[in-house]
Amino acid sequence: MKPTNFFALVIFLWGVIWVLTLSEGTVRWIQQAYYGAISPFLKGGSAMEMKARDFLNEIENSKDLGNQLSAVQEEYVKLRSIEGRLRELESENNELRRALEFKEKQRLNVIAARVIKRQPSTWWETAIIDRGQSSDIGAGVPIIAPGGLAGKVDIASEDTCSIILLTDERCQVSVQVAGTPEVGILHGGRGRYGEEPRLILRHLSREAAILPGMKVITTGKGGLFPSNLLVGTVKEYTPGPVEGVALVKPSVNFSELGVVFVIAHRTGEEEG
Amino acid sequence: MGWYHLSLVGLVITACILQQFSPAFESLYEGRILVVPLVFLCAAVTVNVGPMLLLAFIGGFLWDAQHVITPPLEELRGNPEVYIDPNEDVIFGYSIILYAMMGFFMQGIQPLFREGRWHISALLSGVAIFLYLSVEYLFITFVRGDLVLTRSLFLKISFTSLLTMFLCPVVFWALYRLADLFHHTISYEGLKKPRRGAGN
Repeated sequence: MKPTNFFALVIFLWGVIWVLTLSEGTVRWIQQAYYGAISPFLKGGSAMEMKARDFLNEIENSKDLGNQLSAVQEEYVKLRSIEGRLRELESENNELRRALEFKEKQRLNVIAARVIKRQPSTWWETAIIDRGQSSDIGAGVPIIAPGGLAGKVDIASEDTCSIILLTDERCQVSVQVAGTPEVGILHGGRGRYGEEPRLILRHLSREAAILPGMKVITTGKGGLFPSNLLVGTVKEYTPGPVEGVALVKPSVNFSELGVVFVIAHRTGEEEG
Repeated sequence: MGWYHLSLVGLVITACILQQFSPAFESLYEGRILVVPLVFLCAAVTVNVGPMLLLAFIGGFLWDAQHVITPPLEELRGNPEVYIDPNEDVIFGYSIILYAMMGFFMQGIQPLFREGRWHISALLSGVAIFLYLSVEYLFITFVRGDLVLTRSLFLKISFTSLLTMFLCPVVFWALYRLADLFHHTISYEGLKKPRRGAGN
């Protein structure tokens, strides 16, 4: 090995050791700074992604309309285009109304946020929302969506937040199977992609009376999440020699996560 | 260290920005284009060990700054009597080591690249991405426990490698332009083996 290469390797290893031994606080500071720096690009990327999606939708619509062109008059096509646009607006309007109703139903004081980037990582189930420290959002704050619990905030920068979704293995939630005394820890699965997400509920009794379709809700114990938030429904229960394990279908549709709500202050019950 | 090497640092940082515009394709098992690793791998084949390690350090550092989930602060970990499972994960900085490993892999094929056979390097960058993702997944599995190997996992890695590899010629084109701009030689015609019967 050339002396210069050896020297470079020694400096590199020294740098690696320095990075690997950084304190968690320093790493969080680095990540906050990084997210702060890239947030304009994240928003730009999100806007571009939405435009691309609209463009693809438009192409699909154009194809449909093209098939009808031979059968209908030009005026009719124009009207259909207008109607399509109106339907799109109606759908958007309905979605926002549902989100608004959901917000009003909540006993918690929540801040609405839009998901600007889904799955920025290869292996971690995360997303980025367009609210941050400027909206009084900090790390560890629970996130809910139409349907129930969606995850929690990981890193909060000035204008954006990186959130860990419930479908990630690292997001652990203390839950209870509604109507039973069974409590356990729920987390996301690993190694399944392009299919319906499933959550794993551990630490149940060996032979618990759990049936498919039973609802799973947060216990509020542990100090991380409020109680009685819907998490999902039991899909399958497997008794084991030491403990039972259940597979849970999440109540939130993670593939269409558009608007989420960050729990700002708890106005109702206290946590255990 | 010349202007070309500095421009590569700029290129890696630009790749971090471009990565924000790269979505996950749900129909392709959440495969995506990994812009930062690709730029690093292509750049690694055009430089010597020292600059390659510097790029590995910068690329891996920035990659982990966005992707690694740092353990929450003590007060945000919840009641340890309730959350009894260890929530272990890979630590910040592990990507630097992975980048360096892949960089050495690409350096192994540097003579072919310097002969002008960039297309072989492009194919091998796809192989390198596949290896990188596989090692990364195994690394995560080693830390978290429970080895989970599925068909969709294999397809995700394969599609990501393929998608990323298709972008390789663009990155090599950019590298050649930068090399021309800063008068850096990355291709030596003299390394080409003389054809049998050609010449005197």
